[in-house]
Amino acid sequence: MFERVKNWFKERINMDDLPFFRTPDYMYHVGDWLGALVAGAFFYTVISGLILLLYYNPEAGYEATQTIINKVPYGSVVLYSHLYGAYAMIILAYIHMFRNYFVGAYKKPRELVWILGVLMLAITLGTSFLGYSLIGDVLATSAVDVGAGILSSMGLGFLVPIFFGNYSAGDYARVLGLHIIFVALIGLLFIVHFFLADVQYGMMPSRKVKDKVPAVYPKAQWTKFNPWWPRNFIYMMSLVFLTWGFILIVPNLLVYLNGLPQIANPFLNPKPAPPPNSPAAASVTTYPPWFFLFLYKIADFPATLTENIVIGVFIPLIYLLIVPFIDRTDELHPLKRKLFTWIGVVMIVFLIQTSLWGDLAPGVPVTWSQVFEAYLPPAIISAVGIWLIPPPSKANYKALVNPLTMLGFVTITIMFVGSVFEIMVSPSLSSVVLVGLFASAFVTLGKLLSPYITRTESGSVEKASISGNESKLIIKKNIAEILMIVLMIIAIVIAANMWTIPTTGYFSNLFGVDLGILFVIIGEEFSLYHYIVYKKPVEPEE
Amino acid sequence: MPLKFRLGKDVKGGLSYQDYIYLKRIVQAFRLHRFDQREFARKGEDYLFNFVNKNVGPVDEKRRKFLQGILVGVSAALVAGIIPGLRVLVPPVEAISGFPKTLIVDSSGNPIKASTLPVNSPIIMLFSYPLKDEINFLLNLGDKDGKPVEIPATTVIVPQTGDKYQFPGGVGPNKSIVAYSAICQHLGCEPPYIHFYPPKYVNTAQISAPEPDALTAEAVLAAQKENLPGIIHCDCHGSTYDPYHGAAVLTGPTVRPLPAVILEWDSSTDYLYATGYVGVGVYPTGSNGVPSKDPSSDLEESQFGVSVGNKSSISESNPFS
Repeated sequence: MFERVKNWFKERINMDDLPFFRTPDYMYHVGDWLGALVAGAFFYTVISGLILLLYYNPEAGYEATQTIINKVPYGSVVLYSHLYGAYAMIILAYIHMFRNYFVGAYKKPRELVWILGVLMLAITLGTSFLGYSLIGDVLATSAVDVGAGILSSMGLGFLVPIFFGNYSAGDYARVLGLHIIFVALIGLLFIVHFFLADVQYGMMPSRKVKDKVPAVYPKAQWTKFNPWWPRNFIYMMSLVFLTWGFILIVPNLLVYLNGLPQIANPFLNPKPAPPPNSPAAASVTTYPPWFFLFLYKIADFPATLTENIVIGVFIPLIYLLIVPFIDRTDELHPLKRKLFTWIGVVMIVFLIQTSLWGDLAPGVPVTWSQVFEAYLPPAIISAVGIWLIPPPSKANYKALVNPLTMLGFVTITIMFVGSVFEIMVSPSLSSVVLVGLFASAFVTLGKLLSPYITRTESGSVEKASISGNESKLIIKKNIAEILMIVLMIIAIVIAANMWTIPTTGYFSNLFGVDLGILFVIIGEEFSLYHYIVYKKPVEPEE
Repeated sequence: MPLKFRLGKDVKGGLSYQDYIYLKRIVQAFRLHRFDQREFARKGEDYLFNFVNKNVGPVDEKRRKFLQGILVGVSAALVAGIIPGLRVLVPPVEAISGFPKTLIVDSSGNPIKASTLPVNSPIIMLFSYPLKDEINFLLNLGDKDGKPVEIPATTVIVPQTGDKYQFPGGVGPNKSIVAYSAICQHLGCEPPYIHFYPPKYVNTAQISAPEPDALTAEAVLAAQKENLPGIIHCDCHGSTYDPYHGAAVLTGPTVRPLPAVILEWDSSTDYLYATGYVGVGVYPTGSNGVPSKDPSSDLEESQFGVSVGNKSSISESNPFS
């Protein structure tokens, strides 16, 4: 019966024949699917937003938000996960972008995909700002004040009514409308972005396959890879469901975390602050949403506001838009494009650094010497580091692509620099230990990321291990199968439990946690199924 | 389900569908992955098995079916878990368990003073109570000369069922102030079609007046017969109510009196409060014609209304040009 239903759809949809990129075995790796994660977060946020649209009243933004949280059945679950869906989308979009930046995916012929992506990131940030304003709490209203102030000070005051309408009078209709219009725009650009990336050029091959521009598989070659259905589909489902799971679990757990210190609030608190005209509002230190903390801090710099914004926002944005046309070499390896790799690292460091600074000292003016103190050391250290690492010899290298390692490396670098400063300012035993710790972590990670000179790949070693790999893989697959059964039992128990959770009140957010766990489980099931059915002992990079 | 084919008179079983699919995959793999025939000739079936294993899939169909079954099972659990969550689509019910005590204020928020309320005013004064979409007249009734008259407590009869209930009478310094629902019990018409006709408009001249101020001859006749100075009349279909006796039915087609708001007058401040309802439920809740003994039952049925809270403001409009 199930088989017949499946075949009925199969015949009608012809999913084998979809014109999407057919994927080689080695690409079933999350680094190659970051775009799917962003898209997954996008779709989750759209769906939850449409549910919220049924209840939100732009003429009474704060009251409507409170009603959604307190009275609508599972309203807080939907609202908080909508917020965190947007957060996830922003974070994943940054990771997706910087990963593609470091692997040189913006190069010919993918310039247009890159530009569309950068534009989508900008629109996503704008959409998130507008969505955040819809809550109407003291933070949102002050964020709108700051935003409107920045616009007017740049001589763009005419944009304020266009963006915010009659916001100060409590009428959020325009903000709501633009929030939805921007989302529609993202959706539209997404279709083009996806079409270009997946159909026109295909996904970017590993550097072992193509280390020079243009990095594309000829169509004749990629039509021999795994078709979109079913392997790609199953892999994608596992990623999307896992993303959805975390979007639901994290905020609904954070609800139960009370008494966070003020500095953690911009990042971790899904609940709205008090309304702007209440007495409680006076005691709230205002800060913008975390994804605009960097902008908030840049506004504290000693130059005029316009100059600050141009330096902090427009120059990076324009740089990202035109980088495909500046970086014209045909090299793809980050260490053969040292200048651009350095700029990328510096951008990440500055973004994180400025955001944290804005979080620790929101709205506190800084002097030029403080600015240089903060920004010069990481720039110099990363420059020296990148220039010292030798570019890879052609035959042997280990890829530098993993975005998480990259982020971790950057963080460790900052920590290392910070600890060096610490020992300079106040030398003590603990600061010595700290420097030693971070220095060793920095060296270890740097070694890991630098090319493998000592390790040689010899074909004979690989061949000899194939049969060993195979028997190990069979054992692993059997374990995976047992895991699938166990997870199914857990899923049934959780699903039954979900029927008993109250719709509103303190415990209602457990529904979001449970639903998130179910999504993680089903994502994990898809992933295990993919592993058992499709994983081959050796997946060559052809 | 195995494929079957007819051979002469016999029906012969052929390949099962799964086998067919598997074969098709192998054939496809031959085409896509360069099946090396020379290699095959040299190594024999080992090469074939390895080739199939590598390019078609090492997992046998039975195991794959079982795993797919697990996927379907977890998906079913997910759906089962989401189902209670669909309650997010049901808007929350705003039921109020009792009538609020509501101060009647004017449009700028100042409390209405009972002693300054104009007598026999042709202006429609409306306030919402107990829910925001349930509107009521506020009337200061007088005689033909415009002097306030005391409205006594009366027993009101519901013609539809013959039931009776007690109307508490007027309040204020002259006990002349009353409040009735402004939603006609016949088919739910609202002001300006239903409104109070002061004495000077209750005459035969009004029969030819344009909507919404026309009176039926029947209504004028009934008013004269009962010697009523003013009446509440609905211009939609001609229902007439007697405001001097608890908005009892004067002429049809309505078969139910207008429900009355229980008013409270604070003599020290001269403020007016609404504290409850008597009579049948507001149209169409009371369409069974039974006066509600427990007035809060009406409220619970108006699920999606919003309580007016402790203040309700008057809106004014004049239907007579």
